[in-house]
Amino acid sequence: MIWLLMIATGLFTFATRFTMFSGLGRASLPSWLVDALNYVPIAVLTAIIVPAVLIDPASSTVAIVDNPRLYAALAAIAVALWTRQVVLTIVAGLGMLWLLQWLL
Amino acid sequence: MRSAKTEFWAGVVAEMPLMLGVIPFGLVFGVLGIASGLSPLETILLSSILFGGASQVVFAQLWGAGVPWMVVGGSVCVINLRHVLYSASLARYVTHLPLGWRVLLAYLLTDEAYAVTIQRLRTEPSGPNQHYFLLGSGLLLWAGWQITTIAGVLIGETIPDSWSLSFAIPLTFIAIVAPILKDRADLTAALTAGLLAMIGQPLPWKLWLILAAVGGILAGWLVHQHGKTKQGVA
Repeated sequence: MIWLLMIATGLFTFATRFTMFSGLGRASLPSWLVDALNYVPIAVLTAIIVPAVLIDPASSTVAIVDNPRLYAALAAIAVALWTRQVVLTIVAGLGMLWLLQWLL
Repeated sequence: MRSAKTEFWAGVVAEMPLMLGVIPFGLVFGVLGIASGLSPLETILLSSILFGGASQVVFAQLWGAGVPWMVVGGSVCVINLRHVLYSASLARYVTHLPLGWRVLLAYLLTDEAYAVTIQRLRTEPSGPNQHYFLLGSGLLLWAGWQITTIAGVLIGETIPDSWSLSFAIPLTFIAIVAPILKDRADLTAALTAGLLAMIGQPLPWKLWLILAAVGGILAGWLVHQHGKTKQGVA
């Protein structure tokens, strides 16, 4: 059963990736949709970032003030805006997280 | 004009920083698959059959918790619906390619490969070999994902949770999103998506992800349209 489900969800997932590569309806992709697609990376990635930062993985509750991940994320945002380097951003974020976890 | 080889390796190099987030994520998934009760073979093959990190984690967690198969399948499909948007975004660059190429590139189309590929297509001059960029970034990610899944399965739970290495995933996304927030529409899209992601948490099947994505896109687009209209009047 698990194998059937793995293959079925795998085929569906491939279909979501292939739909627009099929070539059908390419010419009819309207300009409002192209405009809207510009916001896909911002919206999807931010939607993954925010709960990962604000929700405590241990207790599944929202944490703001005493949340080391929030300060780590803020440090990462500052470094990302300043350097535009993915590696430096991760180093800053994880470094801040480890420092705060060590201090607290 | 850039050769196929140049584009391929540019794709590999562009993907490398993102591997810092992918490697711990793959390890985490390998560990988590076993911990959820999947067999080593099931855990490892899930990484090549589904090839989507968040959806694999959900598959393993729900299946391990004895959730009905229809709910497991439905959740995985909903989480992966976002690929339609990536597919649409890249379509005009690949629809002229032969079927084999399109099948391969579609299979390799992930969040991380999309992120670097759309950046290259938008900011660098276009060329007849530009699809090799997605091939390079996609293959590096695929290989890294398979290897780290296997490593995670083998390591088991020897990596202490206190390292919080999985936090490298949102940090990677911050590095991508923060620098591309350029105007009011971009900011509105991000704020709306973040807010909806939090409000939607109680929704079943991780539906908050789709809610936040669609809401964020709509909000950014509406502000963008509003700006265009005002410009047109002035």
